[in-house]
Amino acid sequence: MSQGQAGASHVISSPNSMSSASAQFATSRRIGIYEPNRQISMWGDSFKADSSQNTGASTIVEADAKHDNRLGDIPLESPGPSKKYDQEANKPADKVLRRLAQNREAARKSRLRKKAYVQQLESSRLKLSQLEQELEHAKQQGVYVGGHLGDSSLGLSGTVNSGVAAFEMEYGHWVEEQNRQTGELRAALQAHVSDIELRMLVESGMSHYDNLFHIKAIAAKSDVFYLMSGMWKTPAERFFLWIGGFRPSELLKVLSPQLEPLTEQQVVAVCNLQQSSQQAEDALSQGMDKLQQTLAETLTSDPLGASGVATYMGQMANAMGKLEGLVNFVNQADHLRQQTLQQMYKILTTRQAARGLLVLGDYFQRLRALSSLWTARPHEPA
Amino acid sequence: MQQAIPCNGGRTWFAQTAASNGVVHMAVNDRPSVDGPSTSSSSSDAGGGGGGGGMVRLVAENPVLVVGRRGCCMCHVVKRLLLGLGVNPAVFEVAEDAEAALVAELAEIAAAAGGVQQQVLFPAVFIGGRLVGGLDRLMAVHISGDLVPILKEAGALWL
Repeated sequence: MSQGQAGASHVISSPNSMSSASAQFATSRRIGIYEPNRQISMWGDSFKADSSQNTGASTIVEADAKHDNRLGDIPLESPGPSKKYDQEANKPADKVLRRLAQNREAARKSRLRKKAYVQQLESSRLKLSQLEQELEHAKQQGVYVGGHLGDSSLGLSGTVNSGVAAFEMEYGHWVEEQNRQTGELRAALQAHVSDIELRMLVESGMSHYDNLFHIKAIAAKSDVFYLMSGMWKTPAERFFLWIGGFRPSELLKVLSPQLEPLTEQQVVAVCNLQQSSQQAEDALSQGMDKLQQTLAETLTSDPLGASGVATYMGQMANAMGKLEGLVNFVNQADHLRQQTLQQMYKILTTRQAARGLLVLGDYFQRLRALSSLWTARPHEPA
Repeated sequence: MQQAIPCNGGRTWFAQTAASNGVVHMAVNDRPSVDGPSTSSSSSDAGGGGGGGGMVRLVAENPVLVVGRRGCCMCHVVKRLLLGLGVNPAVFEVAEDAEAALVAELAEIAAAAGGVQQQVLFPAVFIGGRLVGGLDRLMAVHISGDLVPILKEAGALWL
């Protein structure tokens, strides 16, 4: 926004009502006497363009419109009248004085605003370099910030556990690899490759799921609540969450119709598997309910604190032990998932298993895509 | 229903209560011995005190026996799974300080019965006198479809 004239003070444009007219007053302080006409046209333009001009500016624009030819003769600083000015007697002198005062005032305000803005910039810069330092420091300590946090509001706030950070990174890689393998399976099935090649792909796929359960087990030791929250998954996947992951029986329901044709024997086996996993899931769910119940009981005795600090501490220690039991639940749930997948692998032929893995991989891809769409949907902010 | 079994040392004995849901619970109680000075109040003698007597009988006489820590939620999972299949398991609950001795005893029993060599972890499941294992082993056996046949073989299921 600066006019770029020699010797002009470089006024930074700001979104407030510091109108172009007042900006130009600062410049006009130095150069007004040299380019009077240009000044006026600029004032005139800004008067049209800028609807939020302050009255001082508009007054002066109006006033100057009359005196354009004489502007050059007036040293703006000094109120002393020039010889031409004398001809106008007292009335214009008043106006000139007023104009000069307003001019000074506007320029002063402009300077103050500029100063405030620059100060703000500098403090922001300082804060930014502090944050950068903290980030560097944290990175050196092995804490990973940002990355696949999806739509979680974690960001830089809260305690970012290094185990969690490591898991997020590994899980990110896991998903990428999963997508790659799914694509490979799709291509292989479409190209009708041999069973031997399919078998290799299927075995990679199965061991890839083993990898997932392995990294989850490590993460569970680090922060079981994080794992159980499902925040490492996308929103749509989270909707289906059961004890920190997918529900095996649900997965089988997705899978079975896509695997036809199956032999009689296979149909029975799949049906039995579905029933067994459902029973195991129910048992685990009931165990979780029991855990909730006993934890609540541990915490809801003696609200008046009559039993004393030692009892309170004892209760807390007890409750802590119970919470640690959650790690077992996640591990058992993952174990169930793994067993279910492996049993399917036993029931199916190689080709069917390849198809099965493709169906699963594709299903999860779609869920993730759905989550992206959902997150990006246009909606009124709350 | 089984009768209460006094151990050789007479220091501890098992009292049995039948819960209303049909699950037979056994808890370890500390009682002073009849003929000697009372032992310390800790129940550390519970498992090993009487030698093989108590536990061996429990394992042998119940088609399904679950041994677990008192108040353990994993033990609850095992119970619910078995109940869901139509089995009435006998449950033996042990206090924390009696665990170590009990583990040793159970390991002996498991070894004597043959089968897969494995570490005794709680909850421990015995079917037909043999140690099946912990919860994950039980799950694996169930998912592979082998649990119901084993239960039938042991006489725990009749369908």
